[in-house]
Amino acid sequence: MRLELGNIYVKDVQFGSQTEVKDHIVYINKEELLGVIEDDRLEGLDIDIVRPGDSVRICPVKDVSEPRVKVSGAGHIFPGWFDDAKTVGEGRTHVLKGMTVMTVGKIVGFQEGIVDMSGPGAEYSPFSQTINVVILGDKVEGLRQHEHEDAVRNAGLRAARYIGEAARDAQPDEILTFETKTLEQQLKEYPDLPKVAYVYMLQTQGLMHDTYLYGVDVKKILPTFIYPTEVMDGAIISGNCVSACDKNTTYHHLNSPVIFDLYEKHGKELNFVGVVLTNENVTLLDKERSSNYTAKLVKSLGVDGAIISEEGFGNPDADLIMNCKKLEAQGIKTVLITDEYAGRDGASQSLADGDQAANAVVSAGNANALITLPRMNKVIGYIDAVNVIAGGFDGSLQQDGSITVEIQAITGATNELGFNKMGAVGI
Amino acid sequence: MVKELEETVDVPVVHVCTVVPISLTVGANRIVPAVAIPHPLGNPDLEKGEEYILRKKLVEQALRALATEVSEQTVF
Repeated sequence: MRLELGNIYVKDVQFGSQTEVKDHIVYINKEELLGVIEDDRLEGLDIDIVRPGDSVRICPVKDVSEPRVKVSGAGHIFPGWFDDAKTVGEGRTHVLKGMTVMTVGKIVGFQEGIVDMSGPGAEYSPFSQTINVVILGDKVEGLRQHEHEDAVRNAGLRAARYIGEAARDAQPDEILTFETKTLEQQLKEYPDLPKVAYVYMLQTQGLMHDTYLYGVDVKKILPTFIYPTEVMDGAIISGNCVSACDKNTTYHHLNSPVIFDLYEKHGKELNFVGVVLTNENVTLLDKERSSNYTAKLVKSLGVDGAIISEEGFGNPDADLIMNCKKLEAQGIKTVLITDEYAGRDGASQSLADGDQAANAVVSAGNANALITLPRMNKVIGYIDAVNVIAGGFDGSLQQDGSITVEIQAITGATNELGFNKMGAVGI
Repeated sequence: MVKELEETVDVPVVHVCTVVPISLTVGANRIVPAVAIPHPLGNPDLEKGEEYILRKKLVEQALRALATEVSEQTVF
């Protein structure tokens, strides 16, 4: 499967009379976009544009995605949601690079994040460095939380597809090509290099801690194969209301650094054979079943090693360790990517579970570290959520508008796909 | 909590929990497996009567574990 990503670098995003991309500026017809995202379940929908350096705080951020369009090859971006579930990952996809679509909603108040567009907080979120089209809206009276989440998620995905469509005829600034062959061909291609698979763990705990694959709720699947290029076309969607620092937004999936870096080293240092997707469920039986199945699939690929990334923290640490132990027991070397909850002083036990087999671990940082975020001139969303947000506490919001929170409240701060600048080292 | 109570108050403690491996890692001595992370001591998929039987079994199992001498970490 071969995919070309045509990146169009966006210098600015503005409202205009028609939605188009001209000279690296994306113009959006606001009324038309509001029509695209209209939903009986939402009211007071509005759209705002924020830029890096603005004195703006956005809270609570729900999901972030990226405008993309399939120019050639089967299917559509975000398959399984709107049109059909054709297999994606081939042909060419255009990407509006440097901008996002960001949804804001008080769905599960304590499990959404903060994005500051300037100040010290901007160092911690990748979305402080992008131009963000922010979708705001309230739920209609009586709408239940999971329906609210579904409505907001759909609004964000529709907006990303609508804006992405404007890039169909744009001239890309660069074209990157990614290819993964059939297993038989792939294994033969670089016979002298170590063969490596990627085990991609997805948060799937129900109660709005969910992720979707081609529209299917991943908690209901057995672990499965996927071509990495399918992920770049939006086969994985985040429906997660969970701690902001280490949840993978849809944008993170589209741009997973693990996949991009494995491709970068493919044919040079290693042979990137493929991806196994697995879940993080809520019963011990499910965890055992999924980790057994994952180990079986990875073994069947005939690889020497695997990278395993976690999503979230706490009980998913047990899934991470089970996957590690079961792969290592079959002679497959593993490297784990996780983050840490080591207390504000960094001295506590970092993960809920551990094992001697987990002897190569990459840390994305300590989510409990405290930070004070100064007042911003403008707040988009509902700032009172700060006192109850995960990583916040009663009194987080000061009278002068500043807030003191753990960095787990900041969207993407300790992302376990490595989409951040932080890390932590053992001393 | 489980370890602290045993060490400082010197009373036997049963850890009723869903993810047994975590309980083993943190060092609980008496472990009773629970139902699921969002509902450790119940199951909303069951009829009320069936759920009551399940809950009662779990509590009885925990009490049995509490009254059992152990010399190493034990999952009941």
